[in-house]
Amino acid sequence: MTRISYVLREAFTNIGRNGLVVLGAILAVFISLTLTFGTLVFGEVVRINTIQWAEDVRVIAFVRDEVSPQAIADLTTEVESWDEVRDVFFVSKADALDEARDLFANQPAVLRVINENPDIVPASLRIQPEDPSEYRTIVVRLEGTPGLERVQSAGPAIDAMIALRDGLRIMFWLLALALGVAAVALIANTIHMAIYARREEIEIMRLVGASNWFVRVPFLLEGAIEGLVGAGLAVAFIVIAQQMALDRLTDLPEWINLAVENDFIMQRGALVLLFGVVAGLVGSGLSLAVHRYLRT
Amino acid sequence: MIRLENVTKVYDGGVVAVKDIDLDVNKGEFVFLVGPSGSGKSTLIRLIMREEKPTHGGIWVAGKHASTLASWKVPHLRRSIGTVFQDFKLLPSRTVYENVAFAMEVTGKPPQIIRTQVPQVLKLVGLSAKTDRYPRQLSGGEQQRVSIARAFVNRPLILLADEPTGNLDPGTSVGIMRILDRINRTGTTVVMATHDHAIVDAMRRRVVQLDRGRLVRDESRGVYETMQQPVTQPTDAEEPEADDTSTGSAATPDASPNVETGEDVPVDAAPDPEDSGGEEPVAEEPVTVPDGTGEIPVVEES
Repeated sequence: MTRISYVLREAFTNIGRNGLVVLGAILAVFISLTLTFGTLVFGEVVRINTIQWAEDVRVIAFVRDEVSPQAIADLTTEVESWDEVRDVFFVSKADALDEARDLFANQPAVLRVINENPDIVPASLRIQPEDPSEYRTIVVRLEGTPGLERVQSAGPAIDAMIALRDGLRIMFWLLALALGVAAVALIANTIHMAIYARREEIEIMRLVGASNWFVRVPFLLEGAIEGLVGAGLAVAFIVIAQQMALDRLTDLPEWINLAVENDFIMQRGALVLLFGVVAGLVGSGLSLAVHRYLRT
Repeated sequence: MIRLENVTKVYDGGVVAVKDIDLDVNKGEFVFLVGPSGSGKSTLIRLIMREEKPTHGGIWVAGKHASTLASWKVPHLRRSIGTVFQDFKLLPSRTVYENVAFAMEVTGKPPQIIRTQVPQVLKLVGLSAKTDRYPRQLSGGEQQRVSIARAFVNRPLILLADEPTGNLDPGTSVGIMRILDRINRTGTTVVMATHDHAIVDAMRRRVVQLDRGRLVRDESRGVYETMQQPVTQPTDAEEPEADDTSTGSAATPDASPNVETGEDVPVDAAPDPEDSGGEEPVAEEPVTVPDGTGEIPVVEES
C-alpha cells in the first residue's frame, strides 16, 4: 500500500513540477489522437451514409414485391449483359431490412416505423457501373422496365462524400502519425526533465538498493498519465464536436445521417485511450532507457 | 565478507585506477583504506558496491559474486551495503527523519518497522533531538551523522565510507569515528577510505595502503604511513615488498589476529572514559552519543 501511494505521489509531483512541458506533451497527444479519433468517427459517418453505395454501387433499382423470383433472375441476367454494367447484386427484402436497421440505428423514429412495417423496405438490384461516374445511361435504360418500383442513383453528394473520406483519410492518418511521434518525443522530454529534477533521489535510491522497477515505475506512470489525459481530451473533444454538429446542422437533407452508434464511440474511444497510454509508456520508456542516472 | 582477487580497473580512456589488487576483509573487521588522492581508494569502494565493474579479476561481497552480478540483482547487493560519502548526499527537501526513513521506504520496509527503526538509529547517531530539522539547518558533522544513520538503518552487513570526515574539522571527525566504531562493534564490517592521519593513527585498526592503484601495505593495526615507506615516493625497492603484502593479504598473519581480537581493538584504540557504559552491541540497545565530543583521547594524539 505504501508503495502504491508513494509511486502515485511521485508521479503527480513530477507532473506538477514541469507544468509547461507536460502541457505541451499532453497537447501533442491530444491533437494527434483527435485527428485519429476524428478520422475514425468521420469514416464511420461516411460508411453509414454510403452503406448502400459501398463497393462502387451507383444505381439501385427497387423491385416491386409482386415480381416473381424467376422474373428477378431474368432481369438480373439481362442487366448484367449490358456493356456499361460491371456487376449486379440482388438484395432481398430480409437483407434490406437488416441494412435499414443498421443505417437508421441512431434514428429511433425511423427505426420504429421500419420495425412496425417491415414490408415497406423493398428488395433491390444493386448495380456496379464499369465506370462509376457513368451511371446515367444505366438509369435511363432501366427506367420503364416492368416490375421496378423506382430507380435511384448515387448523387454527386455521395460521390463527394466518398472522395472526401478517401482523401482525408490518408492525410489525417499521416498527420496523426507525425503528431503521434512528436507526442512520444515530448513525453520522453517531460520524463527526461523529471528524472533530472530527481537525480539526487534516484542516486540515493540506487545507493540504498531500491529495485530498478521501484525507481522507474513513477516515471512510467507519469508518461502513462500524460498520454491518458491527452487521449481523454481527444475523445471528449470529438464526442462534443459530434454532438454539436448533430444539434446545429439540422437543415441537412434527410438522407444524411451524422449520428454514430454509441457502441462505436465507446469501443473506438477506449482504443484511443489505450493508444494514449501506450504512447505515454513508450515515451517514458525511451527516456528511461537512455538516461545515465538510471544505469546500473 | 569482501574478497577481491587480482582486481584491475581501467577506466575508459586508459586510466588505470587500481591494479592487481588482492584483498580479503572478514566479517566484523574495520579497515582503513589510505593513500594519496588518485591512488584508487574511491575506485575500490565503487568496485565493492558494484558502482563499477572490474576490468579484470573477481569481487565477492556478502556472499555474492559482485563483479558478475546481473544488473537487476544489484539492488539486492546494495541492501547489504551501507554507504557514506564525503558530501553526505542528503535530500535538502526532506527532514532528518525523512532522509533516514527514505532508505527504508524505497526498499519496501513496512511502515511500522520504519517508525521504530528510524528513531532508534537516530538515537544511535545522537540526533534524536533534531529529527524534524532540514539538512541546511544542521552542521556538517550533524549532516554526516544523518548520512550514517541512513546508511545503517537497514542494518547492512557492510558499511563503506568514502572519506566521511573529509569535510569536517578534527573535533567533529572524532564524533563521526565514534559512531562508525559503535556500528562496527555491532558486527558490521566497516571499510573506510580516508586521508585523515590522526584518525587512522589513533584507531589502530587494519590499514590497507594504496599507491597509484597498487596495494602497497596491509597491516592489522597500522598507522597512516610508516617512516620506512613514504606514501608519495615509492622507490623500486618497495615494489617487491608491496607484492608481498598484496599476494596473501587474507592468509597472512597480518590480518588474522585483527579478526580474532576484533572485540578488543576498540578498547585499545580509544580508551574512552565516557564509553564505559556503551560496550554492549548498539544494534539492540542504542546508545546516545553526545554531540560535539571533542575531548576524547583520539584528538589529543593528533
